[in-house]
Amino acid sequence: MDWLEQELKNGLARKEPPPGFADRVLRRVGHRAQSPVWRHSRWLAAAAAVVMITGGAAWREHQGHVAKEQVMLAFRIAAVKVNQIQAHIQEATR
Amino acid sequence: MTVLENAPQTALDFADLVGRHQAMVFSVCWHFLHDRSLADEVAQDVFFSLHRNLAAIESPEHATHWLRKVAAQRSIDESRRRNRRPQVSLADVAEPASIAPARDLLLAETLHRLIASLPESPRMVMILRYQEDLDPADIAETLDMPVSTVKSHLQRSLALLREKLTRRGVGVEKWTG
Repeated sequence: MDWLEQELKNGLARKEPPPGFADRVLRRVGHRAQSPVWRHSRWLAAAAAVVMITGGAAWREHQGHVAKEQVMLAFRIAAVKVNQIQAHIQEATR
Repeated sequence: MTVLENAPQTALDFADLVGRHQAMVFSVCWHFLHDRSLADEVAQDVFFSLHRNLAAIESPEHATHWLRKVAAQRSIDESRRRNRRPQVSLADVAEPASIAPARDLLLAETLHRLIASLPESPRMVMILRYQEDLDPADIAETLDMPVSTVKSHLQRSLALLREKLTRRGVGVEKWTG
């Protein structure tokens, strides 16, 4: 290796990256993904999503039942009223 | 030690790989791009890619080879994408103002600028040869080019540097004795 090659070797020697480079890389790739807390929180998020979906479906079903009962009650009240009116009419026409 | 969950077989520790190879990856980018913040950005991208491909990395040696190859490719791509061909050409390199006490500094600076003025392929070949101390066969494998092309780039670049330095009288005394 002659002097020029030696100079090139010196000039192109490895240089340290700016301070905090490794930390920035680890932050960027989301190293938090490796922590148990983050791994558990992903499961928690998934479980919360399942609860919300099934809960929503159950709530809608419950609301349906309530509405149906209200309609049936309205029918029953209407039927009683009709019967009362019918009775009054029959009494008046007698 | 935090072992990546997506690389259970290799048990390669990503943080350890970053720590061990950050100087190599950053230096390839920095020597090629001659822009510290851009080199920082590209080097981070290289490690980001490693993180995504860690499951395919079979050994620490494979990681070294992979990082070197990707750092070289990304640097070349970035240079092309940003059209950041060095602003100095060989002809524009300043004549030394004096052959005075700072002769070695002047030589280092001139060499730096001359390397920066080389076209992309020969420049990366020179970086891998003199920064990474790779032989032509390894450089050829890293850059996916024939060994003969690598040798040709090395010879022509060295000859060009000698010629330019001689013309400028920088470091001449070193090889003339």
